[in-house]
Amino acid sequence: MSGGPGIRVPAPSPAALRRRRRARRAQALRLGLTYAVLAVVAAAAVFPILQIVNISLRPADQFAATSLRLVPTNATLQAYRTILFEKDFPRWLLNSLIVSLATTIIGVALASTAGYAFSRLRFPLRRAGMMLFLVSQMFPATLLLLPLFIMMRRLALLDSFAGVIIAYVVTALPFCVWTMKGYYDTIPRDLEEAARVDGTSDLGSFWRVTLPLASPALAITGLFSFMTGWSEFMVARVVISSKQLFTLPLGLENLTSTFATEWANYAAGSFLVCLPVVVLFVILSRFLVGGLTLGGVKG
Amino acid sequence: MGLPVDPGGVQPARGAALGWRGRERLLALAFVGPAMLVMLGIVLYPFVYNVYLSLTDMGLYTFRHPSLQSPLWKNYAEVLGHRELYVVFVKTVAWTGVNVLFHVAIGLFLAVLLNQPIRGRTLFRVLLILPWAMPQYISALTWKGMFNYEWGVVNHLLQQVGLAAVPWSTDPFWAFLAPLITNIWLGFPFMMIIALGGLQSIPQVVYESASVDGAGSVRRFFSITLPMLKPVLAPAVMLGTIWTFNNLNVIWLVSNGGEPSDKTHILVSYVYKAAFTYYRYGYAAAFSMILFLILFALVWMQTRLGRATEASW
Amino acid sequence: MRHATALLALAALALGLAACGGGHGPMKLFIWEQMDPKEQVLLDAHLETYLAGRTDLLVERVHYETEALRTQFQNAALAGGGPELIYGPGDQVGPFSIMGLIDPLEGLFAPAMLDSFNPESLIRLARPGESEAHLWALPDQVGNHLILCFNKKLIPDAPKDFAELIEMAQQHTADTDGDGRIDHYGLVFNQKEPFWLVPFLGAFGGWVMDEAGRPTLDTPAMARALAYLRELRAVHGIIPRECDYDMAEALFKEGKAAFLINGPWSWQGYIDAGVDLGLAPLPPIPETGRYPTPMVSAKGYSLNANARGAEREEALRLMAYLTGEAAQVDLARELGVIPSRKAAGAQAESLHPLVAASRAQILHGRAMPVVPEMRAIWDVTRPELQAVLGGGKDPARAAADMQRRALAKIAEMKGE
Repeated sequence: MSGGPGIRVPAPSPAALRRRRRARRAQALRLGLTYAVLAVVAAAAVFPILQIVNISLRPADQFAATSLRLVPTNATLQAYRTILFEKDFPRWLLNSLIVSLATTIIGVALASTAGYAFSRLRFPLRRAGMMLFLVSQMFPATLLLLPLFIMMRRLALLDSFAGVIIAYVVTALPFCVWTMKGYYDTIPRDLEEAARVDGTSDLGSFWRVTLPLASPALAITGLFSFMTGWSEFMVARVVISSKQLFTLPLGLENLTSTFATEWANYAAGSFLVCLPVVVLFVILSRFLVGGLTLGGVKG
Repeated sequence: MGLPVDPGGVQPARGAALGWRGRERLLALAFVGPAMLVMLGIVLYPFVYNVYLSLTDMGLYTFRHPSLQSPLWKNYAEVLGHRELYVVFVKTVAWTGVNVLFHVAIGLFLAVLLNQPIRGRTLFRVLLILPWAMPQYISALTWKGMFNYEWGVVNHLLQQVGLAAVPWSTDPFWAFLAPLITNIWLGFPFMMIIALGGLQSIPQVVYESASVDGAGSVRRFFSITLPMLKPVLAPAVMLGTIWTFNNLNVIWLVSNGGEPSDKTHILVSYVYKAAFTYYRYGYAAAFSMILFLILFALVWMQTRLGRATEASW
Repeated sequence: MRHATALLALAALALGLAACGGGHGPMKLFIWEQMDPKEQVLLDAHLETYLAGRTDLLVERVHYETEALRTQFQNAALAGGGPELIYGPGDQVGPFSIMGLIDPLEGLFAPAMLDSFNPESLIRLARPGESEAHLWALPDQVGNHLILCFNKKLIPDAPKDFAELIEMAQQHTADTDGDGRIDHYGLVFNQKEPFWLVPFLGAFGGWVMDEAGRPTLDTPAMARALAYLRELRAVHGIIPRECDYDMAEALFKEGKAAFLINGPWSWQGYIDAGVDLGLAPLPPIPETGRYPTPMVSAKGYSLNANARGAEREEALRLMAYLTGEAAQVDLARELGVIPSRKAAGAQAESLHPLVAASRAQILHGRAMPVVPEMRAIWDVTRPELQAVLGGGKDPARAAADMQRRALAKIAEMKGE
């Protein structure tokens, strides 16, 4: 922007004034356009969610409806009462938090280190190792449930949090490792090399210099790992069969049956399930906003 | 800090017993080892088991005691012998390409908009990640409801603006488009999050100097933002491609398992239906091996291409 | 970064905690089921009664959706595990018995006890290569059949034949708000699933397979049944252009559909939604004079072949209790389902107002085949039904294609 309020400019010429006014108008137009686009996309993003909320408010478990009203006739909050107080929701929530947080912590710890090695260090089988992470994702998990079950049984991991956590870490790792590696690549090496010259150890320069600068990537991988544990149910269904170990997605899955799904409860539960994700996103958001990291580092 | 630094030659005071090369290897082992161990431990067994299974006749009548096929590759020959397979393959490539393209385009566009210091951006960000935060099962089924011919909101809107109602569930083309739209809706927020994170790695000064040079915002996006986002975005695109290629849930739920008349399958839903409806475990294993090989080839080509233009990894 | 260290410690702790547990306590049995929500509540109540005062036994009920139950059980049982008891519709015992995942029951219960069941409710099937049929499940109910449901506010008396039904339905198909689109329909049902086609197939004199399990789909009866369903819309205009299960439910619950075709699992939901529900057998089709023939099947418990020793004995006792007279009377009273035990069946009409109508429909029903070939039948009839109703495919050609594909699929399944 030209001409901040603190700068005194003696009597600008009419032409300059006109130019400035035009620039301001263009600026306003662009801002208006930005808001318009955001509003339209946000509406498209939110509308189906409102439908789900709508289902949760309908009496008598009705999934479909013939009207397009945003609030159904005879709307009731009964489903929220049922899901919170009559179902095992608090336990599912606790279990899901344990599983998701453990997945996040282990996943981020392993990925931030492995990614660093792949980005900064040269060692034998480096590229083969990176490829292995990719390759592991190429099998459709839905087709591997039988061997997964057999393996989990042999390792005595059936019906345990450890079993699902390990499975989730493995699911989340490839993305996390590759993303961390990609982000480290954007951080100039001279920063840590300078630290090393100043006498910091290899580990120290990673921990104190590079890792903090990679906090946007840590936020992304953290969010992703959390979500892996939070939303997965196919593997969980294979590994877990005791009710006291049910995670949220399993609990919700339990409300479905072929022709008689508890739709209101399911929708209410789904809506509640998405709230912690939003909260986590808002918390981690400050790492996804400019100013804290490299964006602020000049040079 | 104007000292020239040669990483190979630096000899800091501590840990000087090993040279940099040795320390590098040790550090690499310590850093990559645990992740690699977990991966290999869990991935290897199912892989080997699956290879074995793909060579057997395991099915309804041989469930407990499968025997090896003769010739060994019989299941593979049968998979590749299906003429329908190639039609479904083309659909799968289209499904994957269109999805990933829109995920990246929409996600990137929104990230750039939301990276500006505008009022209410936190609210917009929260609203825009909701599709990602919601459990997929119910979102997908809700979309299916929204595509209902007579009572769905999509046709209602189309008719409001004077267009004809679309037969979303009876016409093969539209029935394929419906899950595609649903999956784009489900997937763009995640790309947006990644792009937002990636944008933080671009130093502000780069833009400032470009502004001085008189570069417009479009040119700045293509000559600065996009190239500098590449290291962060490339893995997401590659993995997004793999996940989308193998994404069974969305297409299955929205098309109700291939409706109309099994015309809306991608490879993974096709094999799921063809094999597991009939308890054909051996056949399914062979099919998944072929899926795996296709993806492997695709990704290998992608990385080759990536390396040809720039040493990204 | 101190937080990170603390979190790591926490994770280690969580893993450690997760790894612990176990130890020796009371015996624990598992039941995997695919029940409707209301049946689940009753099962819990029955388990509670059974376990009252017992410290040596725990029973855990785990619910799955039907298809999930099937794959879960296959994987678990193959690996040598799985629940002691598995509950589901009769047609799942076909594949499970062939795969060797469940054990025959006839030798495990006293003959007198088995005699107390209605013989038609006991599912017997010979394994491939054997001539003798075994008993694979003990049922706690029979039915699961489609029936004509109507909104008594709109339809005071059930129609005497399908021509009358069509006439009545036409009077209730209308555009009531004047926006040029029909918003009330005379008849709704799930048009996507062949389960809803089968009653009509029977009414025209056809059936899905013969006694030996060979498909019999390419028949004039099949072509006529497909054409008949299409005429309901194209000629009589009483059904929506597109209608799946959820939409049919919505229209009926909102009072926007006069007639609906659905099964016992759904009735209570309509009453809860405030519909004045009437039930009647699907009326005869004048063209042939025959009644539609919905499929009837039993639901019940099977024994995992991996169950051994004391667990197996305990599981059998529990199975007898859960299919016993007291439990079945309770099921009939609460849900209006039809008991499989003779004694409970004799008093069922007095237990629930819907039982009489439900039974009247069963008289016209036919048993659902439990052989695995049935999956191929569903799989090949579904797309053809959709192609006829939605895509205008010729019914005779659809019937021929069904038969051709069914034969191919069955050959594939058998590994031929």
